[in-house]
Amino acid sequence: MIAPAAKSPAHNWAAHLRRSPLLAFMLIYTVISGGPFLWVAVMSLRTTPEIFASPYALPSRVHWEKFVEAWTKSNYGTYFWNSTIVVVTAVALLTIIGAMVAHCLARYRFRGNRLVRFVILSGLILPPQLMILSLFQILLEYRLYNTLTGLIIVYVAGHLAITVYILEGFFAQIPQDLFDAARLDGYSDLEIFWRITLPIGVPALFTTVTLNFIILWNEFLYAVVLLTEDDKRTLPLGIMHFMGSHQLDVGMLATGLMIAIGPVILLYALFSETMIKGMTAGAVR
Amino acid sequence: MATVAITALSKLYDGGGELAVKDLSLTVADGEFMVLLGPSGCGKSSVLRMIAGLEPITSGTVAIDGKVVNEVPAKDRDIAMVFQSYALYPHMDVFNNLAFGLRRRGIAASEIERRVQGAAAKLGLLPFLKRKPHALSGGQRQRVALGRAIVREPKVFLFDEPLSNLDAALRVSTRNELIRQQRELGITAIYVTHDQIEAMTMGHRICIMSKGEVVQIGKPLEVYRNPANTFVARFLGNPPMNLIPVTIQGDARSHQLRFGGTSLAARCWPAERLSRLDGKALLGIRPEDVYEASPRSGDERLVAITGASVVAVEPLGAETLVVLSLPGVSEEVIVRSGRESKLRPGEHATIQLDLGAAHLFDQATTEVIARIDVKREAGWPRTA
Ligand SMILES: Nc1ncnc2c1ncn2[C@@H]1O[C@H](COP(=O)(O)OP(=O)(O)OP(=O)(O)O)[C@@H](O)[C@H]1O
Ligand SMILES: [Mg+2]
Repeated sequence: MIAPAAKSPAHNWAAHLRRSPLLAFMLIYTVISGGPFLWVAVMSLRTTPEIFASPYALPSRVHWEKFVEAWTKSNYGTYFWNSTIVVVTAVALLTIIGAMVAHCLARYRFRGNRLVRFVILSGLILPPQLMILSLFQILLEYRLYNTLTGLIIVYVAGHLAITVYILEGFFAQIPQDLFDAARLDGYSDLEIFWRITLPIGVPALFTTVTLNFIILWNEFLYAVVLLTEDDKRTLPLGIMHFMGSHQLDVGMLATGLMIAIGPVILLYALFSETMIKGMTAGAVR
Repeated sequence: MATVAITALSKLYDGGGELAVKDLSLTVADGEFMVLLGPSGCGKSSVLRMIAGLEPITSGTVAIDGKVVNEVPAKDRDIAMVFQSYALYPHMDVFNNLAFGLRRRGIAASEIERRVQGAAAKLGLLPFLKRKPHALSGGQRQRVALGRAIVREPKVFLFDEPLSNLDAALRVSTRNELIRQQRELGITAIYVTHDQIEAMTMGHRICIMSKGEVVQIGKPLEVYRNPANTFVARFLGNPPMNLIPVTIQGDARSHQLRFGGTSLAARCWPAERLSRLDGKALLGIRPEDVYEASPRSGDERLVAITGASVVAVEPLGAETLVVLSLPGVSEEVIVRSGRESKLRPGEHATIQLDLGAAHLFDQATTEVIARIDVKREAGWPRTA
């Protein structure tokens, strides 16, 4: 709410006072969540001896060369590339498949649609630890163990539930009349999906893309179980690996983390506004 | 250009126990403007959606130009529909909203451009072609919805209460625009509404529906003047037709209608039919056929009733509605009187009923009892 310009100062004060608990809460929240990030960011530019000498100090000299070292000294380039392939492919598949499933569940009443919805959404409540052994076995049998393809399939299967859940909620709110109008305009069901559901659903799609990207980019459990060879590893494993071989080189670890976080921050900077629109779309409409 | 023939159409929704549309038959001629009129929930939209192919048909057939289209998908029926919600594509600007249906039909870009510009010019939408629907007013959105149907040049127009979200003034002007467009293009149109003014003014014919069934089909004034039953009598006309319960007395040759202290000779209805009525019927008379004063005294059609007491007076500007209670009659009677009416609540008045315009309904079946003179418009059997 924006106060009209010509309000008396006293009124302004009252408005500020009323909002102060909220402001205080947001300040504390920002410090708690942003503080550690800043700390790691600062550490990534300092050497380990400097950090041990004074953990909270600002860099006395900015060591940009650490980023080059982190990238070249270990297998970081490979890890980064593996992560990119796995996550981008998985997110792309999730978005397309998830949107199609959500569109069908939201738009069509077919025989057994409740059962299909239940089966897909029950994935929401299954803890990954429960399935990891059987997944391991299945991937072995299909020769997908220790392959990026195997991990991609596992990621898509694991995140389909939450993707469909978010998208269906949004798609169900698109008025049926739009679909009817498009049918009378001569469009087939698949064309309607591409030309009506997807463009109108963009805010929700951004939400799921961002959410899936962040979670999968950081995913550790499946990756550590399903990938063993070093040149197949994804970033989160790479960071771990990196930790062991250098006997907790805190400075290097911080630099590695900053590299890993980069794409997430970039994505968030690009999509956050649309994504928030998507998450609140139901409420404001 | 097309005819639409609906035969014995029925609709049962999944999980709905009752038929939403029952055995409905209706033929719309080429270029005709047919209005489906009925109260909320009577199945008007269901009929329209089955014609459009948006809803599966439970039984019966829909034929366009003599070809049964039950199995033809909506996208291939070449029908354009204007929705109550307008259903404009929110992610496309006005130009693309209008062009969307043309693109799919493989029409050349130059032709699309020409048609969209033409429709936009006709509807005053040229300044808005680059705007998205959310940046338009309600009236402008309505015109885009109309334009989207017009550019398609379809076989049939379907309208589902397209004006109900507009304010009163805009509704009148858009109504006229819509009639003009339909007459100009000569495209067969089926128009759903529950607004009787729209029905009376727009339709070549109106089809009155109740509870999923057709009650009466005819030209608007014909239906207004000769309602088939008490439902139509009450539904068409505002205020609705007065229905006064009467008792019938008499022998095979002459009957009297009695209510309160009044007794009327029932010469306009066949005596043989009256004697089958169990002595009871409803006398229907429109508010404009009841006179407060005696404008045409000496006319034998007019029957004076004294001792009516005024319950309420509603001056509407151009006219005054007077609500009266007749002695010994439970139903109140509404009179459409001139704007100069001097009656005040609590006063007593003498009124005159124009029996020449009265209707008699069977109380049991609610059907109208045909007048002897019904063929001769407003005629009166002077020789009786
Ligand atoms: N999808 C549906 N599923 C079940 N029943 C339905 C469905 N659509 C409509 N009905 C029922 O069918 C009947 C007719 O509905 P319909 O929408 O055709 O009425 P209508 O005459 O258009 O009413 P209104 O003037 O309010 O739009 C109603 O009783 C309604 O509850
Ligand atoms: Mg309706």
